[in-house]
Amino acid sequence: MLATVAKLIARRLLAAIPILLIVSALLFCVLRLLPVDPAAMSLPPTATIVQIEAKRQEMGLDKPLAQQYLIWLHDALHGDFGRSIVFGREAGSLVASTLPATIELAAAAMIIAAGLGLGGGLLLFSLRDTWFESVADLGSILLLSIPEFLWGLILLFVFGVVLNALPFTGEVSPNLPQPHITGFILIDALLIGRLDVFWSACQHLILPAFALGLAFSPAIMRVLRSSLFDVYHEDYIQQARLRGLSERQILLRHALKNAALPTLTLAGVQFGILFSGTLLVELIYSYPGMGNLMIDAVRNADLPLIQAIGLTYCIVVLSINTIVDSLYLVLNPKLRVR
Amino acid sequence: MIGSVGNSLRSPRVLIALGMVGAVAFCAIFCGVLAPHDPADQNLLSILTPPAWASGSDPQYLLGTDSLGRDVLSRLLYGARTAMIVALIASLGAMVIGSILAHIAGYFGGIVDWLIGRLVDVWMSFPPVILSLILMVGLGIGLDRVILAIVLVDWTRFCRVLRSEVLVVTRNDYVAAARLLGFTHWQTIVREVLPATLPLLITLLSLEMAIAVVVEAILSFVGLGVGPDQAAWGQMIADARQNVYQSPWNLLLPIFAIFFTVAAFNLLGDGLRRTLDARLAETGH
Repeated sequence: MLATVAKLIARRLLAAIPILLIVSALLFCVLRLLPVDPAAMSLPPTATIVQIEAKRQEMGLDKPLAQQYLIWLHDALHGDFGRSIVFGREAGSLVASTLPATIELAAAAMIIAAGLGLGGGLLLFSLRDTWFESVADLGSILLLSIPEFLWGLILLFVFGVVLNALPFTGEVSPNLPQPHITGFILIDALLIGRLDVFWSACQHLILPAFALGLAFSPAIMRVLRSSLFDVYHEDYIQQARLRGLSERQILLRHALKNAALPTLTLAGVQFGILFSGTLLVELIYSYPGMGNLMIDAVRNADLPLIQAIGLTYCIVVLSINTIVDSLYLVLNPKLRVR
Repeated sequence: MIGSVGNSLRSPRVLIALGMVGAVAFCAIFCGVLAPHDPADQNLLSILTPPAWASGSDPQYLLGTDSLGRDVLSRLLYGARTAMIVALIASLGAMVIGSILAHIAGYFGGIVDWLIGRLVDVWMSFPPVILSLILMVGLGIGLDRVILAIVLVDWTRFCRVLRSEVLVVTRNDYVAAARLLGFTHWQTIVREVLPATLPLLITLLSLEMAIAVVVEAILSFVGLGVGPDQAAWGQMIADARQNVYQSPWNLLLPIFAIFFTVAAFNLLGDGLRRTLDARLAETGH
């Protein structure tokens, strides 16, 4: 089985290479449509036209677009994504310093979305053929209509502004030390042995993680419910009933296991979308992750940084898809035979 | 097809959804008549006026004013126009591109199908929010750019789902019969395949409108949307965030407007899916 998984991952990696090449080329072309001159932007406003022209040549902006892309690609393969125009730092290191916070947020949100999705899906399913079914169904559609950025604002308003119960800016309280060892604040807080920092980080994580989790759980609920419906048509459910198992045992021990597989596939797709949804939630909660970096880069037309971040999002999404597919393979015994 | 449309119109869910969409559309069309003020008119003498039901309100401004003294009600109504224009044109555009490519891929198969499939793969490896932000940086702000960005991002939603439907329909005997009768490929697709995929297409269109409303709000919220001279719900939210303690209603009203519109389109899509009996996979968003 390990061999099958390894094969799948190898195949996925091979398929990812052309996709990443095309994506990076597309990114490059789209960003060059901009009417901004990176040379002029990286010089002080007092620079003369001659100086700007010299800078253009130094940056290779006078060369044809294809050649510029090849130069960028060559540098990127050597780990050099260029220098951010606004921050004056390596784009690659900027991304690396903000990515862990975003991964932490996305992971926490996914756990919440999976928990709510599982609970909600079972609830929706157990309400079938009752008067509540259409009400619950309607409710799930209304839930589906609240995107993550609206949840972010609503939760911020209710729990932050009105109830004043939870913090809603940043990742830890400003008066506490902000450790930077791995970049994952929860892990770092434990590494330096400061439980107060850990607790503060947890509190700061609650609202943004719930905003994302709530936005993505209805889709999981609805798919789990419809896969449970499909599974209940199978003979073995009837068989289990004849064996005298309770409905509860049938649902949790037999049906859920098989209905979980299609749900897992969807959850994987959702996780990819959720990961990019962190951008808006980070913006709303001033969370120091890659999303806020992207917003800064986009607002300032910081081309090297946009390019590096855009590519990072792609890589993360492709990796998530690969991980989910491998999980599917591991969990589904039918696919194990070769 | 006509029978199933009649079916849809008898479903309470579809009727309620149509009513909700109609209400937003009414605001969008007649906002020029309905709005008591010009949405861009600033009255710096009465900024952050609370709505009529709160104390200290001004009867001139039914839903209060924002931080620049602009009438919130008028801005909400004009925001509906922006949202509906984007929803309608962007989703139609995405539908046209997506369904043309889906029909070509599903009908002809082979290398064309493979190429279009890989194109969708490349597109889908980009998270939609990120792709639309990057496109907006490249295209610049404005209503037409927002529409273009949504079309360029979301055509894959139609292409992916429709392609498999076309594949199923094309295998039917009546499609082969049409070819034997001497129909050209074009005639076969338009007269035989398209009518069979139309229910799914309509359902997807309704769901895409909900997505377009959200994306427009997100882009305006980030400040890369329709531009400052046009009222948009996302922009109202971004403005209201600064004064959330003084005037919470400025934040809550546009949030509700977005929710109402998105829910209307989602309900409509769900109702149509049930009544038109389209084999739409449950993909959530």
